[in-house]
Amino acid sequence: MTLSIVDYGAGNILSVMNAFEAIGEEPVLASTPEALMAADRLVLPGVGAAAAVLGKLRQNGMDQALREAVVDQGRPLLGICVGMQVLATTMLEFGETAGLGWMAGETRDIRDLGSPRAPHMGWNQAECGAAETPFHRQLHNRSFYFCHSFAVMDAPEAFVVATTSYGGSLTAAVGFGTVLATQFHPEKSQLDGQRLLEAFVDWAP
Amino acid sequence: MLQNRIIPSLLLSGGRLVKGTAFTDHRDAGNPPTTLRAYAAQKADEALLIDIDATREGRGPDVAAVRLAARECSMPLTIGGGITSVDLAKACLDNGADKICLNGAALDDPDLISACAHRFGSQAVVVAIDVIDSAGGVSLYDYRTGHTLPDRNWLDWLGQVEDKGAGEIRLMDVSREGGRLGYNCGLLAAARMRCGLPIILEGGAGKLDHLSEAMQQGADALALGTMLVFSDNNIIQVKRFLKNAGHPIRL
Repeated sequence: MTLSIVDYGAGNILSVMNAFEAIGEEPVLASTPEALMAADRLVLPGVGAAAAVLGKLRQNGMDQALREAVVDQGRPLLGICVGMQVLATTMLEFGETAGLGWMAGETRDIRDLGSPRAPHMGWNQAECGAAETPFHRQLHNRSFYFCHSFAVMDAPEAFVVATTSYGGSLTAAVGFGTVLATQFHPEKSQLDGQRLLEAFVDWAP
Repeated sequence: MLQNRIIPSLLLSGGRLVKGTAFTDHRDAGNPPTTLRAYAAQKADEALLIDIDATREGRGPDVAAVRLAARECSMPLTIGGGITSVDLAKACLDNGADKICLNGAALDDPDLISACAHRFGSQAVVVAIDVIDSAGGVSLYDYRTGHTLPDRNWLDWLGQVEDKGAGEIRLMDVSREGGRLGYNCGLLAAARMRCGLPIILEGGAGKLDHLSEAMQQGADALALGTMLVFSDNNIIQVKRFLKNAGHPIRL
């Protein structure tokens, strides 16, 4: 199995590589549409501003290859932080930008969603609803590291697999089709993060 | 709810960890990867690693040491020391840092904060603010000269740092560093009036009660160095104590 980390020239990719190596995987970097299409399983990391991340993905057709591999061909994808936010329809960060649009929803400043301070920085618990999802055991009531000023809101209810509480309720993880995406950083969340990464590697949606 | 953070603060010198008092008298404190592996196992919430030779030697942080340390650090890692440009910041992030910490170079050129925030996102930019609290009031302190900056108001600087796009503040009372007399909570209260960013308070932790007192007075992120390095305390004990004292702590 080829586990590929999408490398579009932004983000601290080494943290993601280190975390997968720590659980015994041998991740490789995919920095072209061809390399991306050769992967069996993909990770889309992301730090910084969503619009900048999108711009880089679109620059060399990585966005199209990602859609083909994941949406059309059903390969599993883990989106992390901004790698989750860009899946939504609209980004309201430094003006309005169109996201990849794989799910309805928009990213908003968390202070507009009731958060006392931005960034939301530190460890917080993921809370799952009653409906059973593939990652319920790895998510529910476990603590993960969050580090973000924007969050996805108005995602379809059936897609939201975990929320977290910081003033208001924030979307912590979404799941649909062959996609799992987290607002928090599993690669920086010690044992609970490792368990989630292991479950993603084992996931056969 | 968001848990309070306990952050080991480590000083890097010549590839080793050191610890001193009021920025001087450094003693060997171990090997960085081994120490970080232990802190990760003890559930440290983050780690802060500052290369204390970098500024004096006119270079950025020791990225080879950062890379080795990052492999063992399953929690977020902040790197500082001698970061005077976007390129030096990028070298740290490329070698496994999750955030960079600016200090003196930001005092000289506040636009460095916005340049880094624009490139890497605010969440990756921590600005360290060192102060000395004396009978004459609170003064900004420049670790490079060892002197205070009497012409600059520390609260104005704090506001400017936030305006420039920093994502977090590390606020240190230098006069308390290594002194084990307790955190300066008055400083935190004053800073909160001026700034809406997360603030890591550092300097002065000597016993468990100091941490609990600081949290009672509103601190939600505490950095500690001396107390971990030169005593029997480990992070498991520290966090258990704080949890039992009723603070929101991840065990």
